[in-house]
Amino acid sequence: MEIYLPIAQMSVQWPVVLGLGFAIGFLSGVFGVGGGFLLTPLLIFYGIPPGVAVATTANQIAGVTFSGVLVHWKRQTVDFKMGGVMVASGLVGSAAGVWLFAVLRRMGQAEFAVSASYVLLLGWVGAIMLQESLRTWRARQDGTSPTGKRVGQHNWVHGLPFKMRFRQSRLYISVIPPVVLGFVVGILSAVLGVGGAFLSVPAMIYILRMPTNVVVGTSMFQVLFVTASTTILHAADNYTVDTLLALILVIGGVFGVQYGVRAGAKLRGEQLRFLMAILVLVVALGLLWQLVVRPADVYSLTAGTP
Amino acid sequence: MRALLIALLFMTAPALAEEGLTSGLSQDYLQITSTFAGSELTVFGDIENPTGTDPRDIVVVVRGPDTLMTVRRKDRIAGLWINNARAKMWLPAYYFVTATRPLNDIAEADTLARYELGLYDLRAEILASDGDERPYIASLVRAQKRAGLYIQTDSGVEMQSATLFRVHVPIPAAVPRGSYTVEVYLFRGGDVVAAQSTPFYVDQAGLERRVFEFAHTRPLTYGVFTVLMAVALGWASMFLFRNRA
Repeated sequence: MEIYLPIAQMSVQWPVVLGLGFAIGFLSGVFGVGGGFLLTPLLIFYGIPPGVAVATTANQIAGVTFSGVLVHWKRQTVDFKMGGVMVASGLVGSAAGVWLFAVLRRMGQAEFAVSASYVLLLGWVGAIMLQESLRTWRARQDGTSPTGKRVGQHNWVHGLPFKMRFRQSRLYISVIPPVVLGFVVGILSAVLGVGGAFLSVPAMIYILRMPTNVVVGTSMFQVLFVTASTTILHAADNYTVDTLLALILVIGGVFGVQYGVRAGAKLRGEQLRFLMAILVLVVALGLLWQLVVRPADVYSLTAGTP
Repeated sequence: MRALLIALLFMTAPALAEEGLTSGLSQDYLQITSTFAGSELTVFGDIENPTGTDPRDIVVVVRGPDTLMTVRRKDRIAGLWINNARAKMWLPAYYFVTATRPLNDIAEADTLARYELGLYDLRAEILASDGDERPYIASLVRAQKRAGLYIQTDSGVEMQSATLFRVHVPIPAAVPRGSYTVEVYLFRGGDVVAAQSTPFYVDQAGLERRVFEFAHTRPLTYGVFTVLMAVALGWASMFLFRNRA
């Protein structure tokens, strides 16, 4: 059941990779996140070189996200103007990220940068999710409703210049926050192989104050273009996109999403987020462990690429 | 240096002694395919016109393409293990050596070193090194041994008669593509009396090869193609599940 990956230049058990794609697709169906932040570390755990893991995961996300964008387009829940602004700065961010990744690779620090960023990111996201899910869970048991969001209130964002009208989101705000957000997500996508929805969705809700119904569609629209651009740039600059690996992951992923959505409908939101938070924290601790414990061999070998 | 020595032996061996070597390979072209889980190459040969009854030894070396390797050393910095030093060197991507008996019994250490016979006699061309290069080379040899890419065995040469010999060379799945050489040495009394060098090629076959070539010759088109493929699959899955639901 082994298959040889032409770009990773190694043999893998294809049922394992298919299962991994399915599992990540299932989780993204259940939790409504892309799952890139779990797929990249898991591929690295499996032995795929970090560069190939990052670039190929970006490709997988582009494939799995596409159908989601179509669904939201039909429902008219995509703010194309807001999405367009974020895509434009996201493409610049993704190019900067691919360049940064190439520099880190030459310095021999790409692996460390990827692992350390994941520890910080997953630790942070996991802690927030755990805290939030526990609070909601407790509130439900006490019979009180969780504190509502302050929609329509003004914050510091409204003091910034270069205002633009976003009709679909019913907003008149400065373009600076969406541009910065798009740029940061672009860098994360290129360096970590993630779509960045875990960052952009909360930012769009709490900082930009976009209506919740257009947030997911607009975020998916941006993720599609930024991961596509990241894939193409990694292919062109670093030769690290493995089509065969992506093919197996996408096939597993699209099936996983469908079953995940059905399973997700049967579980309560805060229970889901609690489970997800535990999973995210376990992966973060696993990566931290690898950085802290003395490696079996302090020397490591890279052949071929300088 | 080594190539020169072999060339000299080619020219002078027939004149110095009647003794010589003929050798051949089971294949001169090895293909890596999608189900590739390693393979085997057979080197066979014959000692020609043996004279006298001195003990003779055969040493067989297979070398892969020279590759630029970077070895990095992690140090503990602020509690974290981080790559902190490196050495860059050219060494073969694959190296196999075996003989009729342990190499140290066949010849003196300096003779073995001259022909680069033995894992720890490989000469690396050092491009850069933070500090002494020897620990880097030693760790590289260890890593390559673990990966099955550097192999040294004591008595892999099977003598089928007084003059006929055969060697099975394991080629693991992880070998890189490129041009390889098989070198066969005939030793008598601790010295090389004949040598022969034969090339063979390892290549990626079929779909894998085409994907690799595509990715490296037209990387931009390749990137666009892989994105379109992933997107098309995602789109196709929508129709599949809509019909089922």
